[in-house]
Parts: sequence; structure tokens; C-alpha cells
Amino acid sequence: MMRKKTVFSLYKKEMLDILRDKKTILMMIVIPLILYPLIFAGSMLLASSMMNASTSKSYSIGFEGVEDEEAMRSFFEHDGKEHEYSFVFVSPPESYEEALRNEALDAYVSGAVSENRPYFSIVYMASRTDSQTAAGMIRDVIRDYSDKTTRSLIEEAGLNADEVMEPMRFALQDMSSDEENAGFFMGMIIPFLLITSILMGAMYPAIDTTAGEKERGTLETLLTLPVRNMELITAKFLATSTVAVAAAFLNVISMSFMALYMSDSISIANGSNIDLLSFLPAALVTLLCILVFAMFASAVCLSSCIFARSFKEAQNYTTPVMLLFMVGGMAGMIPQVGLNSTTALIPVVNIALLIADIFSFNFRLELIAAVLLSNLAYTAIAVVLMTRLFSSENILFGEASANLRLLDRRRDMKKGQIPGIGDCVLLLSTVMIVLMFAGGPAVLHLKLYGLIIQQSMILILTAAYAWYIKADAVELFSLRRPKALHILSAVLCWLGAFIIVQIFADLLLKVFPGLNTESSELLVELWEGQPLWILIFTIALMPAICEECAFRGFLLSALSDKLKFIPAIVLTGVIFAAYHLNFLQLILITPLGILSSYFVLKHRSIFLSVVMHFLNNLTSVLMQQYSEEIVTALPVLGKEDPGVVFYIVSVLIGAAVLGTGILLQRDKPSKAEG
Amino acid sequence: MKIEARGLCKRFTRIKNSSDKKSGRREEFLAVDHVDLDTAEGEIVGVLGPNGAGKTTLLRMLGKLMSPSEGTVRLFDDEGKSIEDPIKIKSMIGYLSENTRLYGRFSTRELLHTIAEIHGISREEEEERVERISGVLGMGDFIDNRIERLSTGQTQRANIARCLIHSPGIYIFDEPTLGLDIISSEAIVSFMKSERDRGASVLYSTHYMEEAQYLCDRVVMIYQGRVIADAPTDRLMADTGTDNLRESFRALIAGRDGEHDA
Repeated sequence: MMRKKTVFSLYKKEMLDILRDKKTILMMIVIPLILYPLIFAGSMLLASSMMNASTSKSYSIGFEGVEDEEAMRSFFEHDGKEHEYSFVFVSPPESYEEALRNEALDAYVSGAVSENRPYFSIVYMASRTDSQTAAGMIRDVIRDYSDKTTRSLIEEAGLNADEVMEPMRFALQDMSSDEENAGFFMGMIIPFLLITSILMGAMYPAIDTTAGEKERGTLETLLTLPVRNMELITAKFLATSTVAVAAAFLNVISMSFMALYMSDSISIANGSNIDLLSFLPAALVTLLCILVFAMFASAVCLSSCIFARSFKEAQNYTTPVMLLFMVGGMAGMIPQVGLNSTTALIPVVNIALLIADIFSFNFRLELIAAVLLSNLAYTAIAVVLMTRLFSSENILFGEASANLRLLDRRRDMKKGQIPGIGDCVLLLSTVMIVLMFAGGPAVLHLKLYGLIIQQSMILILTAAYAWYIKADAVELFSLRRPKALHILSAVLCWLGAFIIVQIFADLLLKVFPGLNTESSELLVELWEGQPLWILIFTIALMPAICEECAFRGFLLSALSDKLKFIPAIVLTGVIFAAYHLNFLQLILITPLGILSSYFVLKHRSIFLSVVMHFLNNLTSVLMQQYSEEIVTALPVLGKEDPGVVFYIVSVLIGAAVLGTGILLQRDKPSKAEG
Repeated sequence: MKIEARGLCKRFTRIKNSSDKKSGRREEFLAVDHVDLDTAEGEIVGVLGPNGAGKTTLLRMLGKLMSPSEGTVRLFDDEGKSIEDPIKIKSMIGYLSENTRLYGRFSTRELLHTIAEIHGISREEEEERVERISGVLGMGDFIDNRIERLSTGQTQRANIARCLIHSPGIYIFDEPTLGLDIISSEAIVSFMKSERDRGASVLYSTHYMEEAQYLCDRVVMIYQGRVIADAPTDRLMADTGTDNLRESFRALIAGRDGEHDA
């Protein structure tokens, strides 16, 4: 339905429009090619001048209570080392505190005798750089002086000073090659620079082709032409991505020159020799990352700008996006955070971690695939949502409140309204944040009871949001009694899908063992030694109610209000699965999520999916709890490799059960609906 | 080629203007209220009415820029075949309003090229058309200049060239002469007349009653979203016993408001 030729014509138009705008070009070229080298050179200059400043300065010090002040002074002046700095000795004023404060003194040394030894206290002010430096230098000098005294005392006693003072000698030996060291360093910096530069590259054209067009009044002209929304948004998306990629490449070129320059100066300084060719595989994967991430950033920027009525408003919307991206881009610098099947799903963070990973010569194919695919999936979701949600009419004349009901004054709100897409994004991100910062610690400290709290939070937040926007609870959460037949078919469908998904998971883990995570072990630890009914309550019943209300209630109703049947259930399933923050789970839960969304939307009763969810979690509790009994009863389940026949038979049984379930509910409702 | 609208409605929400501060201050209203409208080939139809009557909303729905809350818009091609696909309808309409601005960073030639390309017009065909249109509208002097540097009159000519490039059978012009000087508006008026004589149907909204009286074969009067009169210009004036549209409009509204109050 999308006409390639039209998209291409529109794309050419967008590119011409963007490239004719000098501001975009400046952002694209000036920043990487002029600003970066300038910042780089500037910071080098600053660093060296700071070093010079601290060594070529003179510091004023006050002495008091030192026994042989003259000897001390002469040691300070000729301690055998070449100093570029010098000390100026100031006779201590009445109050050294005041002198330190008004910078007449940089440090103050008072001597005393304690336990038969001289005792110096060095008074300084940590809040003043000069004072800090001076105190540090005095400490070094006194330490040298102390060493010297020790040495002469030992020699006086007729011993070998070297042996006594250093009875053991050791050295650190760095195993990592120069390339590995350089890669580690690059992995910390490159992701951040790339992510920021791609975002900068995407942001300006995104604003320009959406809010900019609206502000200049050309959007209505564009909409008089025979083009579909899909074509229009695809063209804008492609144009924005192109600029973002171009900006990223210019940045890469600029960075490469700096890296060459740096590696040159490092080689000269350290005598090390970095083989830049060894980074070729990493660079190639990085190129892929740039392409994929440019698309992702463009989709995010476009969707945050598309509703803005003016340039200024669009800039307001993109500011939080920029902050989030920059924070995510720093993930590569955090030592404890690594790429695993959970972090591979977190947008922005995953790209940062992946680049850090591959520059440390750590190539894990399944994780690279997970990062690239999840970025593509997020991009596709954003683009499809944009084309579906924002009809030309919405873009042109739409009100923001249609998507974020929360923005209205509560007393202006209509009763029984369906939440918009903005409401879903806001609610789900709030839920995620609350779960992360309050739910996580609750589980850590309160174990199973924490899980209850966590689930209650989801329910309470969802219900509160629905109440605030005056949604109709029966309508929004599909609180209707289901027919017995529909419950039966829901149970059958779940059972069939569950069997197939289990088999698929088994096979998937055989091919990609890296996908397995410790999260299930954590759960086992939680429920060890707990009575069965508590486990069933917390792990099966609570999520079946709370998560279903949020996803199959709030989210599904809002999406089905804006989307057609199939996109609505698929999207609900994918978002529900992604919420589990685990790549393996994403693949496995998606079909189950879509299936239960189907039942809720088709038969207008959330209890169907509550039953499915409950059975699903109940089964995992029972399987975990009675794993030995199950294996004794069905030995084939315990085998490491049960064989192809087992897989085929299981899938066939699953398909048969699933098919029966689907057929059972098929006929009647179509009559009822018609 | 002609256009047919049946039972067109457009519902908007607005903040209720009332002292009652309780809930439900947002209310829905019909900006366009069950409008039927037809054009005929070789005819200029004037859509007249005061500001806020719903003219622009109506024309946007006819041009498929907006979808109606109720009702249908159909097009009939020269063989009388009905067309409902919005994309096809758009490709047969030339739409111009004060809101359809042009890409300032393009030259008129680039703009025309882009639009012709989106309409799927071949390169040779396009060049020929651009030359012809440029001659008719007298754009030779500025066709290669960036649009942001053109004068108001030149920009308006470029805008007309834009809705002409795909030779549409129907023109929808929403207040095309608003804010233009006599010479520029005369150019537009004579353009509409020549297109009508060529057999196109022209739908044109304005609140300049004199211009409409001189130009329109038929007049559709809109007031508060509803059609209050739809008749050939001469007959409308005869029916209301006036000799100009301004007076006819007053007479029609007077009758209307009385009805409203009752």
C-alpha cells in the first residue's frame, strides 16, 4: 500500500528542504569538524596550563613550634629534588585561621612532640586549590625528610637501610595489550560521543520537518497532495535518519583524526605501539550501531515533535529526550553495568554498552543481535504508531490533550473517557520507575512480601490514573463476566501456546546459551521454604490481577481506541513482554501476551486473561516446586536431549490444543457481535 | 468532473462559555452541520458566509484534508464514474487557501517539479507544463528565484501554478484574494474564469460579496455551519428582492435569526 516512488519523491523534497537550511548544515558540520577538535585542543591546553600553574607557583607557608626551624627550612629549599615551585616562609601571624581564610597563607605547619617523636600538623583548606596543593607538597617533603631520617638511623645501627626499609619488593604487571587498554578507554568515550552526536543530528531535522513545517504553513500544502500518511511519515523519518547518519559519520571522521593524533602522541610518550587495524571488527559493528541508532533516534525525535505546534514547543519536548539519551549514553562508563540479556533491551543504554563491549574485544553474537533487533523493533513500533495515530488531521489541527488526557483540568474532563497514547506512555514509564526504585528494594528486603507490594503498586498507580482522568472502570478494564465457553477456550488456547512456547524456549537456549539469565535463580531463592499457598498468591494470583489491569485493561483499551484490532493486540503483547526486561522473555512472552490480548478485546472480558495469566504463573510455580515429582512421572522432561520426536509431538499436541481453543470460541461471538 | 457532498458534518469540542463552573464545561458543536453540496462542470460556485461560519472546515473536508464526522464526499469523473478513494480525489483537485504556504527554500521551478513528481507526471510532460504555466501566469522573471524572496503577488502566482501543475478538473479556492491588491486579485479572478470556461468546476469561498456577485454562477450561503441558501446568483438576489449579494445575505440572516430565537 506504500508507493515507493511517492516516498522517494517526498524524501527528495525533505532532503532538499533540510539541506537548504543553513542551521542544519551548521549543526551537522561545525560541531564535529570544528567544535570537537577545538574542545579537545582546548582541554589539552587547559590541562597542561593547570599542571604548569601548580608547579611553577610559590606558596606561602607558616611554621610554628618547629624545634630547629632553620634546618627545616633549608630542607624544604634543598630537599635534593628539583622543584619548579617554591615556598615562601611567612612568619606566622596571630591567628593562622584567619590568614588561611584570607589567603595570606596557603598552609600552616605546627610542630610538637608526641610520644617522643616530632609531630607535625599541616593545616590547610581543602576548598582552596592552592592550599590543597601546598599541603600535599608539604606532606611529601615531610615524608621524604622522615625517610631520610629513618635511613640514617638504620645505618647508624649498622644495618642495610634498603633491606630494612623494603624487605619485600613487588611490581604490577599489566597483562592487557596496548590495544586492549586503548579499547577499554575508547569504549568509555565513544558511545557517549556517538549517541550525543547522532541525537544532535536527528533532532534539528526532526523539529524542522514537523513543527517547522507546521509553523511555516507548508504542511497543509503538502497534505493537499495525493500522499498517504504512511508515505509522508516514512519520508520524513528516512530524511531525518539520513541527516543523523551523516552527522554521525562526520563525527566519526573527526574522532578518528583525534584518535590517530592521540595514539601517535601516546606511542611517542609511552613507547607503546597500538595496532589500529585490530579495531576493524569493532568499527564495523559500530557502523551498524550508528545506522540502527540513527533510525531509533530519528523515530524518537519525530514522535516527540510531531504534535508540537511550533518550533519552540518542539524544542521543549525534545529537551527531556536529550537528557535521557545523554544519561543513557553514559552507561558505558559505569563499571558495574554490563551488557546482558536485560540491558540489551533498554534503549540507548544497550547501544552504549554494546559499543563499550566490542571495543573491549568482547563479541557475543546473540547480544549484538538482541541490541540491533530491539532497536529496530522500537523504531518500527514508533514509526507505525506515528502513521496510525497521527492522521493528517491530527498533525494539522489536533489537540495534544487527545493523547495526554492528564493535561486537561480535571473538572473539564469528560466522564468515561478513554486514555490517550500519551497517558499510556506516562503511566507505564511511571510504573517502571516506581518498580525500579521502590519495588526492587522492597523485594530485596521483604522477599515475597516485597513482591506483593510491587504488584500492588502497579494496580494502585493504574487505578489512580484511571480515576483521575475519570475513565469508566467497567469499560476501561473490561470488567464483564465471561461466558463459560470462552473461559474454556481461553484455558485451552493458553495450554497449547504454553507447550509450544516451552519447546521453543528449550530449543532457543540450546542454540544461544548466552540468553539464559540468573533472574530465575533469584526467584527460587525468594520462594525457598515458603508454604505453597503464599507462593501461589504472590507469584500467580497477584500478577494475574495487577499486571492484567495495567496491560490488558488500561493499555489495551487505549490502544484499541486508536488502532485496528490486530495492531492493538500485537502491540499490547509486545509492550507487556518488553516490560519483563529480558530478551528471552520478550521472545517467549510476546505470543502469550498477544493471545490473551486477543481474548480480552474479542470477548470484552478481562477475566479471560486473568485466568490465562494465573494458570501460566501457577504452572511455573508448580513446575519449580515439584520438579522432581514431575520428572519421575514423565522422565522425558528431565532428559538433557529428549530428541526430535519429543519436540515434534509436543508441538503438534500444543497446536492441536491451541486450535481447539480457537475454534471453540469462534462461531458464537461473531453472531453476538453482528 | 464534479464533486458531490451529502450530509457533511464536522464535530469539534470547545470550552463552554457559561458561568456554570461544574463539570462538562467542554461541549461538542457542529462546525459544519449536515451540508449537501454539488458542483457542475464549467461552473463557479461561491461559498459565502461570515467569519467562523464553517467555510474553511467545509472546504477542507471537500479537499480531503479533513475527514468528516458524518457524511460523504464523492467525485464523479468525466465518464460519470464515482470516486471515493481520498488519494484519487486529491489527485484531481487543485486546492488553494491562505494556509497553503509554499516552501520558501525552494525556487518555484523546484516546487513545481516536486509536486509534479508526487503526482506521477513524467519529466518531459512536466517541463512542457511548467513552460506553459509560467507563460500564462507571467512567472518567467522569477521562476528560478527562491520563493522566500518573492513578493506577495508573485508568491500567490506561484501558489496558483502549484495547484495547476497536475491539470485538476476541480478547483477549491479558500479565500484566494484575501489581503491581495487589485492587480493580484484580478489575476486570480481571471484565472478562475478561464478555468471555468475550459470546463473545470471551481468552488470558491470568500466574504467579499461584490467579487462573488461578479464571478459566481451559483452561490451557497453558509451560516453557523448550515446552508441557508443554494441558488444561482441572479435568482438568489431576485428571491430576496435585492440587487446585490450583500443585501441578500442580510435578508437571509434576518429570517434565520428570527427562526433561531423562536
